[in-house]
Amino acid sequence: MGVAISPGILAFWRGGNSVSKTYEEINEKIKARKAVVCTAEEVVDLVRKKGVDKVAEEVDVITTGTFGAMCSSGAFLNFGHSTPPIRMTNILLNDVQAYGGLAAVDTYIGATQMTEDPEKGYGGAHVIEDLIKGKDIHLHAWGPGTDCYVRKDIDTYISLEDMNEAYLYNPRNSYQNYGVATNTSDKTIHTYMGKLLPRMKNASYSSAGQLSPLLNDPHCDVIGIGTRIFLGGGEGYVSWQGTQFKTNVEEVNGVPVAGARTLAVIGDMKQMDPYFVRGLDIHGYGISLALGIGIPLPVLNKGVVKRASLSDDELFAEMVDYSLPSGRVPMARYSYAQLRSGKIEYDGKTIRTSSMSSYAGAKKVAAQLKDWIESGEFLLNAPSLMLPREGAVKPLNVREARRCAER
Amino acid sequence: MRRKIRVDFDEINVQESVTYILATEFALKPNIVKAQINDDSSGLMIFIVDGEPDVLDNAMKRLKSMGFGVRDLEKHITRDKASCWSCGACISICPTKSFTYDPVTWEVHLDIDTCIACGSCINSCPVKALKLNI
Repeated sequence: MGVAISPGILAFWRGGNSVSKTYEEINEKIKARKAVVCTAEEVVDLVRKKGVDKVAEEVDVITTGTFGAMCSSGAFLNFGHSTPPIRMTNILLNDVQAYGGLAAVDTYIGATQMTEDPEKGYGGAHVIEDLIKGKDIHLHAWGPGTDCYVRKDIDTYISLEDMNEAYLYNPRNSYQNYGVATNTSDKTIHTYMGKLLPRMKNASYSSAGQLSPLLNDPHCDVIGIGTRIFLGGGEGYVSWQGTQFKTNVEEVNGVPVAGARTLAVIGDMKQMDPYFVRGLDIHGYGISLALGIGIPLPVLNKGVVKRASLSDDELFAEMVDYSLPSGRVPMARYSYAQLRSGKIEYDGKTIRTSSMSSYAGAKKVAAQLKDWIESGEFLLNAPSLMLPREGAVKPLNVREARRCAER
Repeated sequence: MRRKIRVDFDEINVQESVTYILATEFALKPNIVKAQINDDSSGLMIFIVDGEPDVLDNAMKRLKSMGFGVRDLEKHITRDKASCWSCGACISICPTKSFTYDPVTWEVHLDIDTCIACGSCINSCPVKALKLNI
């Protein structure tokens, strides 16, 4: 005897009257170019107009984006073997030192590694950018010369195309929220948060707020290991939790108000767009890499929409004094709407604000990812493992020399 | 009209007062935004001045006749748009608020008219997109 099951009853079985979609269903829609996609910025207004329930029914994917300085980044490269071959133990790429402790022609170049002359303002991040731009890079390497690798030095040029593999592997990217930097001292300081004028003349923030990937999925309910992402203009993956991953941070509206979760990510450099991968020379600090990262959030249920619909006035960050060498306690808390307005108030004083990350770039990331999904080019990948539910960061305790010597 | 003027001097005229001449002979009110003097008595001064076009022209002719190098600052600051990634590190440090975020696209805009060529932004830019040409 056949029983007709109405869609309403099906929905009920899948979790009460809440919307419930699967990765498979969403991917089928993407392949058919019928997926409804909106950015984390667009979802704010959409939810205000239609409510969470309706948006959760209508929208299949929400795209996020960020484009900021991500120091803990770098690239694994394989040069291929020369004739005769060399086991490289000392490697320079455009005069920037790359790691010589891997197999013969493998290396890792870290974003913050600088040339010997810091005045050049050039480092690993610039090598990565130049490679993605298609430029020839000066490779100068030395080896011990062994029976199996007789060559002792090599001096040549190499481009991204020439390499066998080249992929970014970044141990800590896409920080979930970050502090707002100011300077209470009476002299200008130059930090990785930018130039901070004396006596709190200005303050610098760096999160993309309402567009930022981990602020839209604050407990990593859908983002996990294996999630396919936008990385530097190409396809990448979340590979692990990032270093300094922590969850024990105060929350407002269910979102941490300070640096919390982080992601380790991986992606093929050969797919990347130099627009979204840029070497930075931050005066007085050093080299960093500006990187565009976007993560799609599958609308599996209403909760995904609800969390992504928080806007800049509901997301907060804490201001800290970067003139202090340590023990920087939060001075005040501001919403991203306030920070983005260009000025904030502290103790009756007006402080001008600006960002160290590109919100314009974050918008472009989210928009491009949306475009890829709408046009059926980018399918969602369900995580194979979720990120840790809990995590804390340990400090480095400096041990007394005598105690170490006893060992 | 408003003009932004660069005056170059050396040991011949370093002791003359440019601002006194502009104020007393032409009733102009120059606002000095930069002045420097080198070891060899050469140097430069940049000022912003408002006035009738012909009055300004005559004033500049008068300064030139005294041996000063006089020229308008036009592209005194340039930005390489391809390098600029619109982070905004230049925005909150600029004394004249010459950099702004576009309220829609959030791209960083530069208003060269209000720039006083102080140079504070130059080392704030992490992609070295800004250049002072004075």
